[in-house]
Amino acid sequence: MIKRLQDIIKRASQHLHLNTRLINYYWQRTRRNKLAVAGLAFIVFLVALAIIGPFFTLDPTEANFEEKNMPPAGFVTEQSVYNIETDEVTTKEVHGTWKHPLGTDSKGRDMLAMIVSGARVSLQVGLIATGIAIILGTIIGVLSAYLGGWVDNALMRFTDIMMTFPFFLLLVLIIFIFGSNLAFIVLAIGLTGWTGTARLTRSESLSLRTREFVVAAKALGASDKRVIFRHLIPNVISLIIVIATLSIPGVILAEAALSFIGLGDPMVSSWGIILEAGQHSLNTAWWVAVEPGIMLFLTVLAFNFLGDGLRDAFDPKSNI
Amino acid sequence: MNNVILKVSNLKTYFFTSRGTVKAVDGVDFELRHGECLCLVGESGCGKTVTALSILRLFDSPPGEIVDGQISYDGLNLTNCSSEQLRQIRGKDISMVFQEAQSALNPVLTIGDQIIEQIKLHLPLNYSKAEDRAMTLLEEMGIPSAERVMSYYPHQLSGGMKQRVLIAMGLSCDPQILIADEPTTAVDVTIKAQILDIFRDLKTSRQMSTIFITHDLAVVAEIGDRAVVLYGGKDVETAPVSEIINNPKHPYTSGLIECLPDISKSTGKLASIPGTTPNPLKMPQGCAFHPRCPKAMEICSHQEPLETVISKEHRVNCHLYK
Repeated sequence: MIKRLQDIIKRASQHLHLNTRLINYYWQRTRRNKLAVAGLAFIVFLVALAIIGPFFTLDPTEANFEEKNMPPAGFVTEQSVYNIETDEVTTKEVHGTWKHPLGTDSKGRDMLAMIVSGARVSLQVGLIATGIAIILGTIIGVLSAYLGGWVDNALMRFTDIMMTFPFFLLLVLIIFIFGSNLAFIVLAIGLTGWTGTARLTRSESLSLRTREFVVAAKALGASDKRVIFRHLIPNVISLIIVIATLSIPGVILAEAALSFIGLGDPMVSSWGIILEAGQHSLNTAWWVAVEPGIMLFLTVLAFNFLGDGLRDAFDPKSNI
Repeated sequence: MNNVILKVSNLKTYFFTSRGTVKAVDGVDFELRHGECLCLVGESGCGKTVTALSILRLFDSPPGEIVDGQISYDGLNLTNCSSEQLRQIRGKDISMVFQEAQSALNPVLTIGDQIIEQIKLHLPLNYSKAEDRAMTLLEEMGIPSAERVMSYYPHQLSGGMKQRVLIAMGLSCDPQILIADEPTTAVDVTIKAQILDIFRDLKTSRQMSTIFITHDLAVVAEIGDRAVVLYGGKDVETAPVSEIINNPKHPYTSGLIECLPDISKSTGKLASIPGTTPNPLKMPQGCAFHPRCPKAMEICSHQEPLETVISKEHRVNCHLYK
């Protein structure tokens, strides 16, 4: 038992050691793309923010009508105040304070706390939904290419149908049936977003399948399962990483868009939900909509830059 | 000496393509005896590789299909045993070494991983035992600092090293039969000599029975015991190598031997067999070689020659020897 464990640890550490070399190589190539590095830095920052941020910020759900619609620190706005006794509307100047560095929304909730907890939601949505989509797409693509014949035909025609089906309509339908629950939204995005991955991994595996090392593996007695998991998938993994990086922003945006049209999960404060709340008060409190908008913009940009950088780094034909 | 361990009889492997039926192997007979090196010789497209792939049923099906014939090994007929049975045989009893070492190794796995995986597939060994075995094999193949090579990826090795790794992989489970598909074609002459040495050693040290596929008669002369000359998907001549070289009967075999450059004669131009290998979609009637044959007779164009026994060990399919 202990011997076996030692074997496993030895093997794993050996892999880790070997992989550092490869990772190093790809890192050297990625590093030459400054935008990709900036994107990666922003993503690391965002992940850190999402994980440890909530411990330092105020409670994002705590409403305080005394301090509603406060601008970000350093900004000044005018607020109209209705005095019920004199029945008069007066304007007063409101200064942003460092207690709420990003201001507050119309219920007096701290914007910084909301943005930070929104980052958590958006990243969860992005990573989990993309994970589901990538795993599904890879399995379908590789199986399709490897088995060929009628299996290939059936799977690819099914992919075609999924591709032509209006994806947003499907999401709306699912939300209509199951209610706006974040888990369902993530699942729905994941279960509809695999088509592109399936197509790409299929085309890549089609050429891999006829490569001699696959025939050689079979000649030495490897089963189909082994050929798929040991020989095909490891060879498409760099492609998959790139697809995943490039599809995360799409997923984050899809969730935001759903929230924006009022189909998001009202129980969580995702960036889309905050944005949707903010659009009604653009006149009085522009920051409520602008802040999550900027975060969405930067996040999407960061993932796209990183994805581009990785694609160039993984492509042995590109000269960087 | 005469114990046959693999017998291929009347093997026919056709590929049913949209442009017609390609009769890649169309009735090949040979037998492999224990401990011998049997060479399959012929030009490109004569069916050497498909014959080898048919033994392990490794071609794509569809379009390929074994339409007729028997491959007997160990009481089994490999043409119709279940694919699970066949998978057990691949690598463990009969294993294969491919032509291009570069593409026959998985580029994303280390050498060690690939050999160990192969060993663990067929032998009940744990990881470290399999690792030891892999290391021993690599050393046996003459790879220096085998421990370091185990952690290398294929692209870090030279062509000759890769070819040796492939042979090590092929031998990793002590197979009865090793099929080598042109293992010396993609390497330079010095490496070629070393690889041939390995095969010769295998024959003496392990009593390995080898099917060696090549188009190079010099290689055949070097390591072969017997040779089967293929043309147009058929075996045209089977004989011990010395007979093939010194006393070729089939005009195609003699043609191949005349093509060998001779350094002592300076005739200027290299000899060649006129014409090209026939289009596999429309094989000539009668003897497939007759359009190129210098000794073609009237009968050759409409009747297929039958096997003629020249001597106990020498058979030829040609109308010249009735």
